[in-house]
Amino acid sequence: MTDKKNNYKAWLYLSPALVLLLIFSFYPLINTFRMAFLNGYNGLAIVGGETFEFGIENFKTVIGNVDFKQYLKNTVLLCVITVPISTALALLIAVALNSIKPLQKVYQTVFFLPYVTNSIAIGMVFNAMFTRVGVGDLIETQGIINNIIGIFGISPVNFVNNGSTWGANMFVVCTYIIWHALPFKILVLMGGLQNVNKQYYEAAKIDATSKARTFFRITVPLVSPMLAYVIITSFIGGFKEYSSIVGIFGETMGPAGSSGQMNTIVGYVYNMLPKSNLGNASAASLILFAIILVVTAINGYVSSKKVHY
Amino acid sequence: MADRKEFVIKDIDVAASMRNQKTANIIRLTVIYIFLTLMAVMMIFPFYWMIISSLKTMEEYRLNVPTLWPKKIVFENFVMAFEKAKLLDLFLHTLYVGAVSTVLSLVVTVLSAFAFARLNFKGKGIVFGALMATMMVPGELYTITNYLTVSGRLPFLEESISWLDITNTFAVLIVPMLVSVYYIYLLRQTFMQIPNELYLAAKVDGTSDFKYLWKVMLPLSVSTIITITILKMMGSWNAYIWPRLVANDDAHKLITNGLRGASFVTEAGDTNFPAQMAAVFIVSIPLFLVFVFLRKYIMRGVSRSGIKG
Amino acid sequence: MRKITAILILAATILSCLLLSACGAKPDDPGKTDDPARTVPENVEVVFYHTMGANLRAVLTKYIAEFNKKYPTITITEQSVGGYDDVRNQVITELQAGKQPAIAYCYPDHVATYLRSKKVVDLNTYINDKNPEFGLTEAQMNDFISGYYAEGKSFGDESKMYTLPFSKSTEVMYYNKTFFDANGLSVPDHWFANGENDATSMEYVIKKIKEIDKTSIPLGYDSEANWFITMTEQLKTPYTQAAEKVEDRFLFNDDKNAEFLNKFRGWFLNGYMTTQAIYGAYTSGLFTNTKPNDDGIVIHSYISIGSSAGATYQCPSANDDGTYPFEVGIAQIPQADTSNKKVISQGPSICMLAQKDSKVNDAAWLFIKYLLTSPEFQAEFSMTSGYVPVIRSTFELDAYKEFLAGANYTKDGIAALSAKICMEQESNYFTSPAFVGSSDARDKVGELLVAYISAPEGTSAADLKKLFEDAYNRCVSLNK
Repeated sequence: MTDKKNNYKAWLYLSPALVLLLIFSFYPLINTFRMAFLNGYNGLAIVGGETFEFGIENFKTVIGNVDFKQYLKNTVLLCVITVPISTALALLIAVALNSIKPLQKVYQTVFFLPYVTNSIAIGMVFNAMFTRVGVGDLIETQGIINNIIGIFGISPVNFVNNGSTWGANMFVVCTYIIWHALPFKILVLMGGLQNVNKQYYEAAKIDATSKARTFFRITVPLVSPMLAYVIITSFIGGFKEYSSIVGIFGETMGPAGSSGQMNTIVGYVYNMLPKSNLGNASAASLILFAIILVVTAINGYVSSKKVHY
Repeated sequence: MADRKEFVIKDIDVAASMRNQKTANIIRLTVIYIFLTLMAVMMIFPFYWMIISSLKTMEEYRLNVPTLWPKKIVFENFVMAFEKAKLLDLFLHTLYVGAVSTVLSLVVTVLSAFAFARLNFKGKGIVFGALMATMMVPGELYTITNYLTVSGRLPFLEESISWLDITNTFAVLIVPMLVSVYYIYLLRQTFMQIPNELYLAAKVDGTSDFKYLWKVMLPLSVSTIITITILKMMGSWNAYIWPRLVANDDAHKLITNGLRGASFVTEAGDTNFPAQMAAVFIVSIPLFLVFVFLRKYIMRGVSRSGIKG
Repeated sequence: MRKITAILILAATILSCLLLSACGAKPDDPGKTDDPARTVPENVEVVFYHTMGANLRAVLTKYIAEFNKKYPTITITEQSVGGYDDVRNQVITELQAGKQPAIAYCYPDHVATYLRSKKVVDLNTYINDKNPEFGLTEAQMNDFISGYYAEGKSFGDESKMYTLPFSKSTEVMYYNKTFFDANGLSVPDHWFANGENDATSMEYVIKKIKEIDKTSIPLGYDSEANWFITMTEQLKTPYTQAAEKVEDRFLFNDDKNAEFLNKFRGWFLNGYMTTQAIYGAYTSGLFTNTKPNDDGIVIHSYISIGSSAGATYQCPSANDDGTYPFEVGIAQIPQADTSNKKVISQGPSICMLAQKDSKVNDAAWLFIKYLLTSPEFQAEFSMTSGYVPVIRSTFELDAYKEFLAGANYTKDGIAALSAKICMEQESNYFTSPAFVGSSDARDKVGELLVAYISAPEGTSAADLKKLFEDAYNRCVSLNK
């Protein structure tokens, strides 16, 4: 099959994408490498006529940052916690949606709503849900969530306010990310379920296979290409988490008195940009790039064993 | 005698098992509906919040304890959104950019996904890996480099090349955003699910690759194509950072820039969130309608084969 | 996926080729714009980036039209870019492509960042121009409120003037006058009590208020960063300086600063005060609150320190019959040392960025000069925005006098009331040194104040000291 003609045809099919990617993706990627290895590279200093030496100072600075370990820890944990949960939930919802008839359209539309809801609005909702207003005994509101868990006799938790713990913050951010990730995943998985050959289900029905068994033995393998896609891309996206934390905490990336407590590597990149400190920003990006590359390679290896096309 | 007994037992078994199955089905459906309803409430809440916020006065929005229903419903925010932004112009620009980029992007995506899924050529793994790699660096660094590129500021040159400066055109809003590796990857996954035998059969029949793609693969992948269409349209509709950077003049301004820009700053310099929410709500309506319209194509497979799961 | 390794190697090869040629463009020297014979430019376009909302833009447009009567061939293209950070980000990116606007709204730390591009124009080259069309007269220069004007020279080199004030705000103290009058309290004018019965000290007043109303939080301070910085100015303790070495820029890790924080910490632990971040919502909301919480208690403060531009938020909503739940009084913020009165100044300045054609800069200057020396524009802008004018002659205008005469505690009059107080403290303004990283210092001392005063009771002195060190280390780390 790999004849010369096929070779040339494939490149023809790929050419529009490749030309554009070359200019707008590969070149910036290479430029990121360049900036990362020029000590103290600053975009404005270039304009001012300064030159920079080749070296690995930027990487040293990034890793030497007093909070770098914290950023790394947050980045990795956010990803590791949210990707499996949101993917599993999305799969359950997609399958559940697929198996009902009445109200299916209504539910489907509702699950799409977060997509057309502005991110500022979502940030506002989270504020209302988790923010406590008040000091000490003088409490104006504990937030909606605390009011709800209060019904079950659980004492209020300081989720996001000054003095809140890293664990509590983590819980809120993870909830936000999972929530935010659902519509896209549901959409993709639902699309995937449509591509599944219906005969398999009919066969399972005749065999009176149990529902759980059908799910794990038929549904999951059949949507495995889409699952692999969702998992791999959401790992990549998850490592780049930033906007959800801004949505909850604002630019301080943490509760008032301990800002940066929830900051991530991409958050650090954003911290560097207002100073046009592209050297450090690029170095941090490349560190992240290396991490994602390894994780994606592992993901790819696993999926090449498990995915059924 | 023995035969008869056996028959009776079997008869009772069938009836009982049918009853059991019916009960199990009801329980299962109840669980599914409860699950979906719970998730739906969570999904709808921010959207609800967006709407009620748009109906609040700035004063009420600033209350320490947010109200779940506006004390006083005002429509002035909507009036303001219409008055302060030249909505019609913004709509037309966005519609144009959205439509052109969606169509072109689909073409590029389909061609590339086909090459990756169906054709064998030298270097396929490397090219695909390279594509994936571009997803792994935070986008902000791309933005800066790409901005320099579209401004005609090429590497190794001391001066910008003015005729390469394509800022403040529609092209600059469309072209750099045309290729999305996410979508290529997604469609590749779908294409790969289509049995290879079909392709080989077509080859034997002497069907050209293009015809096969057009007649066989695309119809079988409608769900994914629609998903990509929706996602791409949303992308153009919600694009913010890039358009603001490269085309902020009145002749090319897009809706999010017009609406999220400073039109909604109170005189004291705070963002006027209620007015912004009103604007965002107006903007999300067309997206919502597009989704409702296209939704049936995603689920078409289901209704056609009448699978109830 | 194994192929990705191959990509990396490929990328590394390309990279090493690229690295061999570190590029650098020749800068246009912005210092060279002081041509001895400047003439009025014609047929040029000046781009102006700002953050104005629709109402302010209307004011601006009106004065652009006025400007064009005088200079018909200069086109002013004003663009509302978003918030201050958006303007900064946009300008930084555009500077790298050589497409920066001629005039931009700015905060001092933005300009400190822009300076490395060598594209920020030293405004002294225009201010001192002998041609009266361009230069500022002695009278015009002195018309600027000096504390605001000084900001332009705060970039390490006193001889260079990089910004001019556009419109400003400051902090004022809002208090519940009805409550103060009813309980015979005096309005505090200094922070710390000299002796037990120092009735005009904040320390005394908040203690008294708490005795009278146990479920109140007597004092709410809006901005922690402002509070910390203002205290260092009032007490003349170290904060920051513009220094070459990153380690030398941040001086706030100092025991003298721990002293005032210890005081405030005591107040906080006694329930006398809070700040916006600790409280979890706007302190203006706490001040104006009239709604009981779930326990039926109306929690509110009696003193609220916040921006003079936010006066309308510090005014409670009128009752249905048009009366107000209480009367708001406005006073200057308390001082540490009444012989060294200091109050922060905030709000946008403008800077000028060098253009390829220096004629554009000349035109930009004419526009800046027109706006900033026009009392009419300043008056109208101030009355619309709640910010205060930057030139004194505005106060002589009948329209502005009329505005000030309407000062009272209602929603309609409170902005004027606040503007009046600003005028009274105009000689007390200070500006902090501006350098790359000065905004980090600002952010970190704000957080430090929050963490310090709200640390749980019984936190050891060593742990509290560590908060200072952490803040310092973070500042240094972010600016390496």
